[in-house]
Amino acid sequence: MTAVDRYVGTKPAPVASSPDATTETALPVVPTPSAAPVAQPTLVKLPTGQHDQKRRRWVPRGAERFLGVVLLFAIWEIAAQVGWLSPQTLAAPSKVVNVGWHMIEDGKLGPALWASFTRVLWGLGIGIPIATALALAAGLTRVGDDLIDRNVQMLRFVPVIGLQSVLILWLGIGETVKITLIVIGVAFPVYVNTYTAIRQINPGHLELARVVGLSKFAQIRKVILPGAMPGFLVGVRLATAIAWLILVFAEQINATNGLGYLIIQAQTFFLSDVIIVCLLVYAVLGLLTDTFVRALENRVLRWQPGR
Amino acid sequence: MATRPVSDPFPTEALAVRARGVTRTFGDRQVLRGIDLDIRPGEFVALLGRSGSGKSTFLRALAALDTEVSGEIFVPERRAVGFQDPRLMPWARVLDNVVLGLQGSDGKARGLQALDEVGLADHARDWPKTLSGGEAQRAALARALVREPALLLLDEPFGALDALTRIRMHRLVAELCARHHPAVLLVTHDVDEAVVLADRVLVLTDGVISLDRPIASTFPRPRLRSDPRFAALRSELLAELGVEDDATITIEVDPEFDSQTKESTS
Repeated sequence: MTAVDRYVGTKPAPVASSPDATTETALPVVPTPSAAPVAQPTLVKLPTGQHDQKRRRWVPRGAERFLGVVLLFAIWEIAAQVGWLSPQTLAAPSKVVNVGWHMIEDGKLGPALWASFTRVLWGLGIGIPIATALALAAGLTRVGDDLIDRNVQMLRFVPVIGLQSVLILWLGIGETVKITLIVIGVAFPVYVNTYTAIRQINPGHLELARVVGLSKFAQIRKVILPGAMPGFLVGVRLATAIAWLILVFAEQINATNGLGYLIIQAQTFFLSDVIIVCLLVYAVLGLLTDTFVRALENRVLRWQPGR
Repeated sequence: MATRPVSDPFPTEALAVRARGVTRTFGDRQVLRGIDLDIRPGEFVALLGRSGSGKSTFLRALAALDTEVSGEIFVPERRAVGFQDPRLMPWARVLDNVVLGLQGSDGKARGLQALDEVGLADHARDWPKTLSGGEAQRAALARALVREPALLLLDEPFGALDALTRIRMHRLVAELCARHHPAVLLVTHDVDEAVVLADRVLVLTDGVISLDRPIASTFPRPRLRSDPRFAALRSELLAELGVEDDATITIEVDPEFDSQTKESTS
């Protein structure tokens, strides 16, 4: 019998608030319990003593997660070999690997990969600083906010891909237009995330900064910027993903080199396996850049709980 | 904040805080109605009040966090504030948090000394995320005291801690104040805390100070809870706050019940 059981059967009477009570309502006064006997409740026995039963492992721990992927590739391979997939529609994985290997040997894949990669690096290298500068100006100053934010929020919804035609008119069909498309695509997620992060700094932290006597400049350096860093890095991760997506598209504008050029050529000659190789290379490069940014995040944000 | 004016009409007694006619209105609600308060250097003042009584508002005014308040407020230049949540910057290590805003080239050394005083010397290079609630609040205290403030403002600093940690923190604060002698304004709704720590207890009711009870002379430290003066003071303060002291509530237990319990457990 617990202490609570003693009060079973009696409910605390509600207390009307007195005329001069403040905004707090008065707590009910628990009356003394009556002498009525308390009935014995039915007891159930709980299961105890069960330890984590070790699941039998058919596959080593790390490999478990790849089981699904391996299965997918196996089905794909079988389907291609058996004839459900025609070679022109979709080549078997084994064929794709073969073709990929030949492309590396021929020296076609390497330079194409490098050309594409440098375009992305240029796009990120120009887009991220510009967006960050704009976000700082808009986030930290009222004038900047008035001048910049409305404009950016408006332009955000103009589809980058649709800008292609206008940009070709202005910038021709060379490298510049390709990189410009990437810069534009990259700038918006970085701006939006950084600006939001700056505006949503914990006001308690800002108050504390004032209280310990930090100058406005020191507040920005020691509180606002580090506090905005997580949001900024989220923007960067989005930016790298978008950069690759836009690159695939941009490289098909009068392509003369790069992975996009290889794809256009392969299309002309119905070489679906070459296309698959190029798409896989895009995917791997995208994964690599994302992994790099995540590693950067883990280093810079190691102070976050849960890292 | 401002230093005392040259032509001071008040008696030249050394003061850490002088507040006259402090008034604060939020919309159409007058939270503070002209508070007058003097705190002497080294004096530990506890400010009690019910929720919403305006005690945090008053403290924030003294902390220069609220410039819309009206009245005259004179406070020392060297002030420190402790909030209910420790407000440590999670992206800076504990030591860097403690020396935040500290002037002078010996900051690191002073920071380490402050951490040592609160028992966190081993955690100087740790991230704040590794600290427990009590440890984080201790680090916040170290941050407050490292700058040797003439006035320490504490806004319910132990409200978020469990009861056991709170008791330890009371002892720590008492020690630190005995060593550093800042004037202290402790805002709290914990009557026991006020009685244990303060030289003088104020009660804020309806925007004015309804009770100003110095206790340093009548109840010298150490103040034991078993001392009848403790209970008397407690009852007086609770009464002023409009709360019945639970010593007056009796709980009757059915004697038959007790014997039943004894049977089933034997």
